Amino acid sequence: MSSNIYLPHLATITEIEPQTPDTMIFRVVLEDSTLAQSFIYRPGQFAELSIFGVGECPISIASTPTRKGSLEFCVRAVGQVTNALHELDVGSKIGIRGPYGNSFPLFDLEGRNLLFIGGGIGLAPLRSLINYVLDNRDHYGEVELIYGARTPQELVFKEELRLWGEQEGATVYLTVDRGDERWKGPVGFVPSFLREIAPSPENKVAFTCGPPIMIKLVMEALEEMGFPPDRIVTTLEMKMKCGVGKCGRCNIGSRYVCRDGPVFTFEELKMLPGELEF
Amino acid sequence: MEQELREIVRKLLQEGAIEHFIGYAEGVEPLHTTPCFIEREEEVGALVWSPFCPYNLARYLHQMKNGAGKVGLVVKGCDARAIVELVKGNQIQRERVVVVGVPCQGQVDLAKVEEAFQGAEAVEDAGDTFLVTVGEEGHSVEKERLLREKCFFCKHPISFEYDFVLGEMSPFLLDRRSELEFAMIEEMESLPVEERRAFWRAQFERCSRCYACRDICYACYCQECIFESRAPRWLEKTTTSLDNQTYHLIRAWHMVGRCIDCGECERVCPMEIPLRQLYKKVEREVEQLFDYEAGMRVEDLPPLVTFQVDDLGLVI
Amino acid sequence: MKAIKKPHLVEWLNRVAQAYDLLGPVLDGVVQFKRVKSTNQLVFDYPNSVVPPKNLFLPQTECLFAFRREGGSIILEPAGGLERERVLFGIRPCDAKSLLLLDKLFNRDLVDTYYQEKRRGTTLVGLACPSPPQRTCFCTSLGIDPLSPEGVDILLADLSDRYLVEVTTERGEALLGFSRELFLPSAGEEKPRREKEKSLEGIEEKIDSLWEDDYWRELSRRCLGCGVCTYLCPTCRCFDLTDVGSTLGGGRFRCWDSCIFADFTHMASGVNPRPTGKERVRQRYFDKFRYIPEEYGVLGCVGCGRCSRYCPVAIDTRTVINEIIARSTK
Repeated sequence: MSSNIYLPHLATITEIEPQTPDTMIFRVVLEDSTLAQSFIYRPGQFAELSIFGVGECPISIASTPTRKGSLEFCVRAVGQVTNALHELDVGSKIGIRGPYGNSFPLFDLEGRNLLFIGGGIGLAPLRSLINYVLDNRDHYGEVELIYGARTPQELVFKEELRLWGEQEGATVYLTVDRGDERWKGPVGFVPSFLREIAPSPENKVAFTCGPPIMIKLVMEALEEMGFPPDRIVTTLEMKMKCGVGKCGRCNIGSRYVCRDGPVFTFEELKMLPGELEF
Repeated sequence: MEQELREIVRKLLQEGAIEHFIGYAEGVEPLHTTPCFIEREEEVGALVWSPFCPYNLARYLHQMKNGAGKVGLVVKGCDARAIVELVKGNQIQRERVVVVGVPCQGQVDLAKVEEAFQGAEAVEDAGDTFLVTVGEEGHSVEKERLLREKCFFCKHPISFEYDFVLGEMSPFLLDRRSELEFAMIEEMESLPVEERRAFWRAQFERCSRCYACRDICYACYCQECIFESRAPRWLEKTTTSLDNQTYHLIRAWHMVGRCIDCGECERVCPMEIPLRQLYKKVEREVEQLFDYEAGMRVEDLPPLVTFQVDDLGLVI
Repeated sequence: MKAIKKPHLVEWLNRVAQAYDLLGPVLDGVVQFKRVKSTNQLVFDYPNSVVPPKNLFLPQTECLFAFRREGGSIILEPAGGLERERVLFGIRPCDAKSLLLLDKLFNRDLVDTYYQEKRRGTTLVGLACPSPPQRTCFCTSLGIDPLSPEGVDILLADLSDRYLVEVTTERGEALLGFSRELFLPSAGEEKPRREKEKSLEGIEEKIDSLWEDDYWRELSRRCLGCGVCTYLCPTCRCFDLTDVGSTLGGGRFRCWDSCIFADFTHMASGVNPRPTGKERVRQRYFDKFRYIPEEYGVLGCVGCGRCSRYCPVAIDTRTVINEIIARSTK
């Protein structure tokens, strides 16, 4: 007897941490403690969050499975459901379905150097993998993060950016499109910043997530810099609805983003029909 | 007539006077045509004219806002009322449209033909009659037997200026015209409210919310349709009784002062909901309240956006 | 093979209707497959229904679960399943074939229990198609046999005064048990044969070569962007999920949606990867003739012809297929 794939599990919001004017981190605990223990997910996967009476939306899981306790979602208020989520308080009940989607190719990363390139809220799914890697430090090589946002206020996970930079074998490069009076760091778009830093592709896999145009420019730049397309990885967060490959909405060609993705390599994307959002 | 039409269009394209021409082309099935877009001179041979050209091609002028060039199209007299309304509603500029009038003398109702003559392969307009071809035989039929219902009260706009005409543009008159027009709703109007409500509820139960009626309508040109609005979300895609009633009643309201009874909504409904009855009622109310008929003269001001001093006497 | 006299068929169905919910073709404005209280409501002389019987397995509007606030928490109540087992009478071979494709989709990976439960709880009694077929039918061009029992438990074929009865499953056999005496051994008559036409070989490669072709833009000029072709298509199954009610209580529903609708792929961020009719029309035909074959090894079209028949502007899928073949060999 198969379980009901459309029925969410109840969860409680235990913590809300505003990040930017329109982004918040929600820490959520599943009500059923057995389920909470056995909720196994991998970095790169997403969940469908329900606000009963308003609707459901897919959000990538920003926490890492190596740290038990709660699930973390970094949510930007863009539509009906996300705006309703922002109105909730600690203690509010929501629904969770998941984890869905494929994940970052963990097996292939053993021993590799890892380069993360994020833009804006695109850092959220990458954060899951970054923390996973730092929690399993011996298995991976050098870690680099190139991250930018439109303004310093719009950088997310600011505290962690600082902590990551302090880790052995990890380097964090930050940039903003537009600085302010207090910003002392580099100013410029992420793709050009990437080209300036020119990280070596040696034994390295690159992961990128951010606004569609940024992903496109970054993947092209990485390829020009010598990264083979099967070692350029991105996660597409687009037009998913049911999350389980049934409703027919999120296909790109015969691939469904919720079922065959959301993680794709540049090589895989090149084989899909040209109707990516960029 | 077809030859003349093709020649006119060929010249227009050759002179670069229009970007494309919208007309009727032969369909795959017998007794069917389909709208076509002619962009090159070599393609004009596809243009046809027959009693199976129900489409109100003015519907395809909605996209004109996005361009700057001129477009040509062929219209029956009834369709020209749509052009009048589109000009009135600022959706098109008259000088950007090249209008070719075709002297239609009645369109055929497919269902009536199929019922009377199974396997009919062609129907031609023979002046006073229709000539139906079944196999080797030709049958001459009184037009009334096969006519689309709306053709019984054929209405053309008053003094519409066509850029070209393929003959004399005059309404197809039948003796019983004036009494017939609202006869279809008089029976309904005589029923008590409860029965009318039950009737329409039953009709809307069948509705599959395919939006064909909206999407074929010349008057549905809102850039964001109320039914596609996200915030606020007025209607989801659920098809409960209430949802379906909401859809149809809102649309009926939006047709006040704009419906020209081209009949397309009813023709395209796959569930055969008698939509013309609904909009005919709206039409009649508008006529009685505001002494207004859509699509007759560009100068006539739309009733819902016009205030007259004596409107104060109206009970709305 | 067995046979049953025509008057006896109704007798048998009456007995079946005592133990099952009987679904069959009725005339309610147009021919539709619905639950009948009496066999008197059934029609037998129909080419096919307007809405395909997929709506009996994937209803246009279906409540998945109800929710309500209680105390400090929320109670979820999944929708109940079928109250009784069902028998669907009168399904045509093309629609039966379409259900086999929908099965592949809904039963793969994470199983859609709502769909599956209805499928498992329904016995299919098919009705082979009359000859000549409707003008818009073209199943045989896709290698589908309008006399095939594929996908049904029992197939009836009209032999004017009686039906030939072909039973293909144990379920079907059990159904015969309601009036076993009415089913006589057939007098050795042959099932009517239908000439099989060529199947659409190689259509996937052909359409694949036309991704950038102007044909999709041309088609999209005529296309109104309504949902008729997709809603009436037996293999189409796209749906939307929506909450009805308020945060105090209501239900989560799924309802049919269409890739042809302008806002289908419109995202909250404002981006729409299929911004014009051209992309959407192209997606529809690629899904039927390229993506589904790639994924499931069968065509995504069963040739029922409803899209061609009911398209408001007479866009005909047969024409599209012929164009695909013509343009790709240029």
